[in-house]
Amino acid sequence: MSESSAIEIRDLTVEFSTGGKIVPALQKLDLKVVQGEVYGFIGPNGAGKTTTMHVLLGFIEATSGIAEIYGKDVRHSIARRRIGYMPENPQMYRFLTGRELLIMAGQLFGMRGRPLAAKAAELLDLIGLAAAADRKIAGYSRGMMQRIALAQALVNDPDLVILDEPTGGFDPIGRIEIRKIIAGLRSAGKTVFFSSHELSEVERVCDRVGIIANGSLIADGHISQLVKAGETLEQYFVSILT
Amino acid sequence: MISILVIARTVWIETLRRKDIYVLVTMLIAFLLALMTLNIFGIRNMVSYIKEIGLLMAWVFAWILTIGVSVRQLPQEEKTGTIFPLLAKPVTRLELIIGKWLGAWGIAGVASVIFYILLAGIVIARGGNFNLALTVEAWILHFCSMAIISAMGILFSTRMNSDAAASVTGVLSFAAFVLLPKMPQLTLDLSGWRRESFMFIYYALPHLELFDLRQRLVYDWETMRWEPFVMIVFYGLLMTIVFLMLSWLAYRKKKFYRDVL
Repeated sequence: MSESSAIEIRDLTVEFSTGGKIVPALQKLDLKVVQGEVYGFIGPNGAGKTTTMHVLLGFIEATSGIAEIYGKDVRHSIARRRIGYMPENPQMYRFLTGRELLIMAGQLFGMRGRPLAAKAAELLDLIGLAAAADRKIAGYSRGMMQRIALAQALVNDPDLVILDEPTGGFDPIGRIEIRKIIAGLRSAGKTVFFSSHELSEVERVCDRVGIIANGSLIADGHISQLVKAGETLEQYFVSILT
Repeated sequence: MISILVIARTVWIETLRRKDIYVLVTMLIAFLLALMTLNIFGIRNMVSYIKEIGLLMAWVFAWILTIGVSVRQLPQEEKTGTIFPLLAKPVTRLELIIGKWLGAWGIAGVASVIFYILLAGIVIARGGNFNLALTVEAWILHFCSMAIISAMGILFSTRMNSDAAASVTGVLSFAAFVLLPKMPQLTLDLSGWRRESFMFIYYALPHLELFDLRQRLVYDWETMRWEPFVMIVFYGLLMTIVFLMLSWLAYRKKKFYRDVL
């Protein structure tokens, strides 16, 4: 694994057993995400995007193959030390307040005391939830839940941020804010790996994209290399899949 | 270690904010207040009755709370999806198991202290007394039994939903408390593999009756000698570790996925 790789996946195969049948979710997937880039991971429903993320985060153990984050095997919890993760349709502890959630998330990374409190306050400000910081999450709207989920993903100042459909619950203004946050992460030298069905969003913020279908990567490269002049990413995506 | 404490504290906050514990404490207070009125029936030796029934209630309520809080922890995380951001942190599955167990055990332990204090208050108000050293001994052993039951609840909840895990933990812990001590007598007429099977169950299940000092408290007997006391505490610790290790084995490779296919 080269030093500049944030994510490296080789020959990754994941199979699920459903109703007595073995269903392949990933088939010998190869993928590499370089440190400092914003990588869009796109594909049709059921292509294997979320499965790939779940393997990277240790929720699922691969049937075979290798998955590493900063050279660490993803099966070990140490691999998650430099990661921030925001799930699709996130659900957070509803009995905690937004601030308590961020403090708790920070503590799980070994943070504590005033620096953690300051970081929580900074993030609440960044995502526009400062006024609702001490309200229970049970009373948050879907958009607020997305925002607090994003904040908890950033609490440890991660080098790699994994975002699963990050703009799903946001209104247009919220999407612009998310875009700004991703741009801020890029300029800070962070790596962002995100999946989305919003291809215009991907086109706007990503350096590189990977297209997955039936558990294998069918296209991977800089958007300018993949998409012809005058073509959109969406048009390219449709053409490659049909 | 920090992760374990953070997870345990989250369990405490959740339980306190869900208010389950207040319902049980309120019910116990109502029950104890009802016990105070028993003298209107002219029953003699009221203090012993109050102690006996009050301690039984403290055990039953602590048992309900221990199982209720333990079995819902892991299934609830999976059902709501909060398991995903949690496991995305540098938290091992073992830390998660121990944190959840510690949280559930801790909250049940605090509730049982409240139960004992309430009961002692009622007994003293009725002119009776509680031997402090014996009460502390009885509570420590009771607390140890809750550690085992909580670990059992966590074990079954690794692979069952919370309702099923509560039923299995409830039935097994009740059987371990009531039936297990009688098992050698029940198997006297058996021989061969049948007897060996029963004796295997006899040794495999935790002997919760060892942790029960209620009779000593009711009849104001002496405190236990420290040697058997320490051995019972050690036994409780051992059984708890066994159940937690089994929980970890059942949970360490468990796949978590939602809408991935």
